[in-house]
Amino acid sequence: MELNIYAYKCKRCGQLHYPYKTICKKCGDNDHNEFDIVALPKNGKLLTYTILYNPPSDFEVAALCLGIVELEGGMRITGQLDIKNPKTGMKVAGKVEVVRIDGYNKHLGMVFYQE
Amino acid sequence: MREVYVAGIGITSFSRLEYPLVEIAAYPALMALRDAGIKKVDQVYVANMGSGRINGQTGLASAVVDHLSLTPAAAETIENGPASGASAIKQGYMAIASGMYNTVMVIGAERMREVNPLEATDFVATLTHPLAEYIYGITLPSLAGMFARMYMDKYGVTSRHLAMVAVKNHKNALDNFYAHLHEDITIEGILDSPEASTNNPFVADPLRFYDVCPVSDGGACIILTTAENMKKLNKPMIKLAGIGQATDTHCVHERNDPTDLLAVREAARQSFAMAKIKPENVDVAELHDAFTILEIAESEEVGFFKKGEGHKALEKGLTKIGGKLPINPSGGLKAKGHPVGATGVGQAHEIVLQLRGGAAKRQVKNAKIGFTCNFGGFGNNVVCLTFIKEN
Repeated sequence: MELNIYAYKCKRCGQLHYPYKTICKKCGDNDHNEFDIVALPKNGKLLTYTILYNPPSDFEVAALCLGIVELEGGMRITGQLDIKNPKTGMKVAGKVEVVRIDGYNKHLGMVFYQE
Repeated sequence: MREVYVAGIGITSFSRLEYPLVEIAAYPALMALRDAGIKKVDQVYVANMGSGRINGQTGLASAVVDHLSLTPAAAETIENGPASGASAIKQGYMAIASGMYNTVMVIGAERMREVNPLEATDFVATLTHPLAEYIYGITLPSLAGMFARMYMDKYGVTSRHLAMVAVKNHKNALDNFYAHLHEDITIEGILDSPEASTNNPFVADPLRFYDVCPVSDGGACIILTTAENMKKLNKPMIKLAGIGQATDTHCVHERNDPTDLLAVREAARQSFAMAKIKPENVDVAELHDAFTILEIAESEEVGFFKKGEGHKALEKGLTKIGGKLPINPSGGLKAKGHPVGATGVGQAHEIVLQLRGGAAKRQVKNAKIGFTCNFGGFGNNVVCLTFIKEN
């Protein structure tokens, strides 16, 4: 089964949210949970990135590449990049993978690769 | 509403302090009580971000008020991330302005170096979005790195401009006994020389070691009181004239233009409006330069310079002591240090000192209006204060 990251679409006005909220940021008119779940697209372009040379101790790597991606359709997501020489504006494609392991917990998130 | 004045101030060194957190809070409080010449207060606010997580101590304000033998004064701990300090000052203002209390002590205290710097950075990172940011390994330096890259591309800011902020603030800190870093750095040493990549490695590309503030312990205190009480104290009349606070999206990626710091813009606007002044009236400012890029960006967002021109003002030396608008004469977070919960109170301490004319070698001449910007999260909760010296 293909894993996805989900956006939350307001049932009243259609506004998309990622991450989720309790009240719609556009119409402010919905009650709790009045959202439809919509899978976020996985392709997009790299808006900005950084290479972090002192990642938190859960990450047993020397450097961690992180970025913000503008997905097709305009939604944005923060994620990890598995790209050797990232460039602002480059096309990337995401996969949902384990991004952090703390103790017995494995956290799933979006990892982007060069398209 | 009643007007609120600063009766007393106190501060510890911002560095690694080898004594317990309650004492880091108590020492500047003692200095401030002596400065004000009073022995009792009605309320104590303690601004702190990490005592429960880092120091294993909760209910900090109750411990501090007892340590100072100020019981039965009211006491609360205020946590608002790195903006806790200015938030606590705001609470102090409201307590007095409302008429509920007459004299309020606001302390900021933090002991981050009880853990190693990686753990301290991870602790601060817990203020990012747990599911959409934190899990990826996002830390505050990484958000600043991504912000800096966009900002540099958009406005033509270079690594050299960032280094100029660091050099300026390190120079200012040389004259501040309480600053964390007393280290006279040069552009040559951190950017141009063959050793620069060793002296100044990347931390969160494009930000380097000298673009990032140190992890500090430290405490600061400011005692607020009414105009009526001030008459008895014979202290300079420094009025807390303006307060503004605004919030922005939790996730940086959700902002329409992630290079805009809308919460800074709105908090500053409110603060100036309340004080009935304009940004160009400000004589001295302490901005939240946890990362060098933030000093440039905030100097534009608060209205000192046009958007995209902060780095040009820096080039011209306008923000040096002796320039048109000195920014961070204390050394800023960059060199004075950043004990997160205490930082906002530390900024207010510097401004009051400047307005009193007591800042010795780093004194800004004839400073009458001072401004602070205390930046919480990555710009998602910002508190700006305006202080005015009355004759």
